[in-house]
Amino acid sequence: MKKLAEYIKYGKGVETANRVKQLINEGANPETLLNDAMIPVMDEVGALFQSGEFFMPEMLIAARAMQQGMDIIKPILVAKGIKPMGTVVIGTVEGDLHDLGKNLVIIALEGAGFKVVDLGVDVPAAKFINAIKDHNPLAVGLSALLSSTMLVMKDTVAKIQKAHAEKKVKIMIGGAPLNNEFAQEINADFFGVDPASAKDFVRSLL
Amino acid sequence: MNSERILNKMMESDILIKLASVFGKKLSDLKMNQQPEKGLKSKSDFEHLKKVLLRETTDGPVPIVEMMSDPELMAKAMGWEDFPIDMAKAIMWSVAPLDNLKTLWAGFQFLELIITFSKTMGYDYATTWPYVPIPRTYHEADIAEKHGGKWRIWQDESKGIISDRAAFEAFPWPEPDDIGLFPVKYMANRLPEGMKVMVFQWGIFEDLKLLMGLENLAIKSIEEPQLVIDIAEKLTVLAEEALSRSCSLKRVGGVFMAEDMGFKQGTMLNPRFMREHIIPRQKRIVDVVKKSNLPFVLHSCGNIEAIMEDLINTVGIDAKHSFEDNICPVEKMFEKYHSKLAILGGLDMDLLTRGKEDDVRKRTRQILETCAPHGGYAMGSGNTLASYVPLNNYYAMIDETKKFNLNRSME
Repeated sequence: MKKLAEYIKYGKGVETANRVKQLINEGANPETLLNDAMIPVMDEVGALFQSGEFFMPEMLIAARAMQQGMDIIKPILVAKGIKPMGTVVIGTVEGDLHDLGKNLVIIALEGAGFKVVDLGVDVPAAKFINAIKDHNPLAVGLSALLSSTMLVMKDTVAKIQKAHAEKKVKIMIGGAPLNNEFAQEINADFFGVDPASAKDFVRSLL
Repeated sequence: MNSERILNKMMESDILIKLASVFGKKLSDLKMNQQPEKGLKSKSDFEHLKKVLLRETTDGPVPIVEMMSDPELMAKAMGWEDFPIDMAKAIMWSVAPLDNLKTLWAGFQFLELIITFSKTMGYDYATTWPYVPIPRTYHEADIAEKHGGKWRIWQDESKGIISDRAAFEAFPWPEPDDIGLFPVKYMANRLPEGMKVMVFQWGIFEDLKLLMGLENLAIKSIEEPQLVIDIAEKLTVLAEEALSRSCSLKRVGGVFMAEDMGFKQGTMLNPRFMREHIIPRQKRIVDVVKKSNLPFVLHSCGNIEAIMEDLINTVGIDAKHSFEDNICPVEKMFEKYHSKLAILGGLDMDLLTRGKEDDVRKRTRQILETCAPHGGYAMGSGNTLASYVPLNNYYAMIDETKKFNLNRSME
């Protein structure tokens, strides 16, 4: 499993998939592979990104390798009835087309074993509200990268909270112009300074 | 010679530029309602700005420096109601080929808007760029009505035109002879005494992102670095040529390069890659500018602390623009770097956009009081005058700088 973790860490997708197949053929429990090797190494990648040793390219290729391993494991887990730890709905708010930061958060969340419903970019409040109704997520993540779309984010958060007043869904926000003060200003539950912190927040909700 | 090259050559002729200037002035007087009282000052002084950029003075007024302004904001400020905003945006992002009358006419109007806005607001320069026909990828979002009738052009973050080696080989790379200098020559001819042209240049890293998509660029920087290097080299050669020609023109005063290299946490790519493959090419570009003894300003968003010393010592930039309070307030950057660099702007975009006018005024004064006495500082926004910046906040920033300069001159 050490080898598997290394393949993922350094973005070796083909080797990851082959190693997963090999280990499963040798009798390894897919859940064990996921929980004891794959998720921990993605945590490590996130921590290396936080500490400035890994950068966006390293995260992307690690995520891609993880995905190639997950492509083997997921059908087995689904057949066994094993569900993800929880669901997160995520999107970039209406009027904003930036998606790279959001995609890095998705990488961190999926790497940690969560199911992510990606609503994409330029997402109106109604779409977030419907997605919350359909998927009953632990948390909903909103991304914005412009000062103008921060105003949209404020409005979206208010609408979500009004529409789902009875739900306990937590709202987390992220994006370059944002900070904790802004999160408080708009009644969001969390401001994620980076993908790893967003993942840690969602984990804390379990 | 193809038709576009012939057109370029014709447009660069002195006679045509002189005729166009006469027409341009009439157009400007007809279409724009200038309010010079809103500007920083009535008389521009590029030589003083140059001294500020090169940190050769601690005296004199604090200039205003912006890399660029969205056409909507400029048109609104100048009262130009039927300005062709859509086409101007496409030209600004170099996604509209200048090979038809409609685009050329829009481009000409855009030049006039930039000239008159810059002059009215009391800048010492106006910005334009040579025409280098590199096809770039973008998204356009029609978010009219929902957001005040404005739309934006966005970089494609996931993929671009050049996704692999085959696409690189097939890419229609412009030749040096495809470079058109009309915008620079025209502006240089049109600007009044005291003003010069700051030539805007897309950075090679910026163009790598535009051509490859940032995600694709990131992955290729690890898995196929030679492809990235080869694209960067093509871009560098074009930039060297464009700037060599532009900087040799009279009334060109300096270069402003847009080169976003950072996220909030750090550089977009590994600093090692940047140091090995991007920094040396940026140095070549700056060397071309320095041959003409002109100042070089780098605009780069994000946290690029990891490569700041490389930019200062290897690349040789004279000034840095673009600062965000969320990363490091401009005063702290000034404190750290003002002995090596001029620091430009830094009035945070969030404050300029969402803040109350009084808060904008207060913050402007705060920055000026900290930075101005040391020299090597110019006031301005933390990024660009985006379309969503309220005009009253922009005017407030200018007005506070005007008051600061007046008080300073009386001391």
